[in-house]
Amino acid sequence: MGADFDLYVRRNTWLHHLDPRVKLLFVVETSLLLFVWPTIWAALAAILLCSAAFRLAQIPRRSVTAIYRTMLPLATLVFALSALFGTAGDGNPVWLQAGPLVISPGSVLQGALLALRLLALALIIFVWLFTTDQASMVRGFHALRLPYDWALTLALALRYLPIFAGLFSQVRDAQQARGLDLEQRGLLQRLRAYRPVLVAMIINALRQSERLGWALEARALGAGGITRSVFRPLHLRRADYILLTVLVVGLVISVTLRLI
Amino acid sequence: MTVDIALENLYYAYPPPMQGSEAIPVLQGINLEIGRGESVALLGRVGAGKTTLCMTLNGLVPQATGGIFRGNVRVLGLNTKEHPVADLAQHVGLVFQDPESQLVQMRVEDEVAFGPENLGVPAAEIEERVTWALEAVGLAAYRDRSPLLLSGGEKQRLAIAAMLAMRPRVLVLDEPTASLDPVGKAAVFRVLQELRRRQDITIFMATQEIERITRFADRVLVLHQGQIVLDGPPASILAQVPKLEELGIGAPQIMELAHLLSQRSKHRYHFTGDAQAFKELRRRARKARLHKAHGGLPPAVPPPALRPNPFADRSQVTVENVSFAYADGTPALRNVSLILHPGDFVALLGPNGAGKTTLVRHLNGLLRPASGRVLVERQDTRTTGVAELAHLVGYVFQNPDHQIFAPTVEEEIAFGLRVQQLPATIVSRRVNEVLERFGLQPYAGTPPALLGFAQRRQVALGAIIAMHPNVLILDEPTGGLDWRSRQELLALLSSLNALGHTVVLVTHDMRLVAEHARRAVVLVDGRLLFDGDTRELFRQREVLAQAQLALPPVTRLANRLSAEGLPPDVLTCAEFADAWLARLRKGARRANMRSHGRTSGSGAAVAAGKPAHKGKTGRGGNKGQGENGR
Repeated sequence: MGADFDLYVRRNTWLHHLDPRVKLLFVVETSLLLFVWPTIWAALAAILLCSAAFRLAQIPRRSVTAIYRTMLPLATLVFALSALFGTAGDGNPVWLQAGPLVISPGSVLQGALLALRLLALALIIFVWLFTTDQASMVRGFHALRLPYDWALTLALALRYLPIFAGLFSQVRDAQQARGLDLEQRGLLQRLRAYRPVLVAMIINALRQSERLGWALEARALGAGGITRSVFRPLHLRRADYILLTVLVVGLVISVTLRLI
Repeated sequence: MTVDIALENLYYAYPPPMQGSEAIPVLQGINLEIGRGESVALLGRVGAGKTTLCMTLNGLVPQATGGIFRGNVRVLGLNTKEHPVADLAQHVGLVFQDPESQLVQMRVEDEVAFGPENLGVPAAEIEERVTWALEAVGLAAYRDRSPLLLSGGEKQRLAIAAMLAMRPRVLVLDEPTASLDPVGKAAVFRVLQELRRRQDITIFMATQEIERITRFADRVLVLHQGQIVLDGPPASILAQVPKLEELGIGAPQIMELAHLLSQRSKHRYHFTGDAQAFKELRRRARKARLHKAHGGLPPAVPPPALRPNPFADRSQVTVENVSFAYADGTPALRNVSLILHPGDFVALLGPNGAGKTTLVRHLNGLLRPASGRVLVERQDTRTTGVAELAHLVGYVFQNPDHQIFAPTVEEEIAFGLRVQQLPATIVSRRVNEVLERFGLQPYAGTPPALLGFAQRRQVALGAIIAMHPNVLILDEPTGGLDWRSRQELLALLSSLNALGHTVVLVTHDMRLVAEHARRAVVLVDGRLLFDGDTRELFRQREVLAQAQLALPPVTRLANRLSAEGLPPDVLTCAEFADAWLARLRKGARRANMRSHGRTSGSGAAVAAGKPAHKGKTGRGGNKGQGENGR
């Protein structure tokens, strides 16, 4: 077990130190711009931008290629579908037509756009996931006026994910060691075989959540008549202001250009 | 004396677990006063009510648990029935047994800040408190880490820091070291000793660590069946060996030794600690030297307590040059070779992360070697399913809750047998056998999840034993058990072993190793460092140091007294007593004795990377030589 579910890559770069709210704005704005400018060039620019960000944040190549590998099947599928079943539009050249299949320069271009945009979106989100640890995410959400209980619930969910994953493999091993055959063929059979594992998991999870509730109370959560204080409140620093300005100016310029 | 904690005539019963059943009484009339700055250790068997008593001190019992509560609990004058738990939290810190379910944040410093934040402490002061609390538990360098990546001992120290940061006057700890390895235990106790020294906080700790509490507690309480039956300073309570054994919690080994020596000679031995015991025995040994020796030499060395294995020439499980690495590339086993013989009783030792669990998981096919092979009764684990091996190799996991799922105890025990598709008559016979052996008949129809920890553990063990596996592997079987349960478990394992079952224990409990294991295997850093006779291991100082293994108290004492003529490899109290009394009788002829009993066994340290089975078999070496002819 480890922090398998934590995508955060611990590095000491200025990208990592940026305020989580500013980085969230980057994610939202860049994604929006992809739709404001539906061109291949915009998608390619976003991909280049993200690649540069990964380089600056010293994200290992292995983690980056992992994203491409995960996204490739989906992107290929999207490309193939829109290239094959797209419409050419009247008067445009058609390369091949066979029944419902229409392959035209237009549909191929459309497919490429959709696939690249999908890839760009994934990369943009990973810029945020790779450089923002879970604690800052929660702080960011809290600072954006999300109620504390929500932020805490999110934090606990993120925190207990790896613990439950570890618990699941422990329980599975323990059951297998008692002769439970989980290496069965059919999906239904396999699901049935996993029943004891799930029952034991749920019993454990319930036990643990009861104790978690006690632990939170013992840490004075919800003490009467007290307003919670915040340790290390988020403050925008110079780099944050610079990026914020760049983002706002970029947004204004691009929207204006688009409208003209 | 200012009274910090006052319990008046406290009765408590948990609500019935199922409709129609009865409430379970736990605390039955407790009166207790604890003064400011006292350090109190609460001893008692598993199920005596220690956790419940701890939880009454911050109001979780009865506020969160419900049930029937009579009498009063006052902490710093506040009645726990009248003040909500969250309000009491700034006065009473409660550290729980399980590190996983009490840490709630994703960074160490956030974890410590969480309590003060809830109390509305200003940010600047939180910063100060976090720094102070982390320093107090020795985690100052870990501020930015994820609590998930800390070791068990570090997690518990973090939990203590999280409580300290709320500046409570009373710190309650419920078996904080029960799930830790010796290194983690020692670190937690060091922190507690330091807190005790400062004397500005009252500490109340439920624990099973009877060997460690003399250096921590001012006062020892024993809880038995919901009542406080013993209350006093550690030295006087812990010396009551027969009483403590009767109560099921046992005594420190050094006290046991004093009791045994007093029983076997006219002199009354009274020990209060290791250092004092050493001085007292050295003084007596030197006095004895002045007397003239009486008659001939007494039997110089005690016979070995454990008989040699008659099947030592056959192999049951063969591990051949096995290497294994985890998914992230960290090597876990490096070229390990090992042969288990039918009827072996093996202790698998080594520091955390040495690969012990990885190795035993290879023995039942849960893991498959990256290179090399493992044969279980001539079946290769690479081609045999885990489920198929399950009836040959029984694996009892550390946490019983990982394998418990059935609606009743009876079905839980029958599960493995049904999977094997044994005829119903055999299944019911074996289930009844196990129910009887573990005294679980009254609970046959009860959901196992509702039983207490000790009983759940019995169910988990029973479910494996019902399958009659030839090889029985237990991962840390004695963690969290009290003395009586531990004795019962070991008696059971010894009897199974006597019937020819191979027993493999992964353990940190060196006293258990000394008293029960014939053979010891030591792993360090994924390599096999030692494989041989247990007594031989106890002589190998370098191996012990590398594997961070501490000798049991009597062995250490005998070591320190070796200048006075005691053999340095004493394993048990009984052996110590034999050697000691022989030493006293022998008086002046000490020099002879020292040269005796030192013939070295053949179970020498195994060079790294060298296949171990070739250099192995320390069996019958040294003290066992007289046994070889039988």
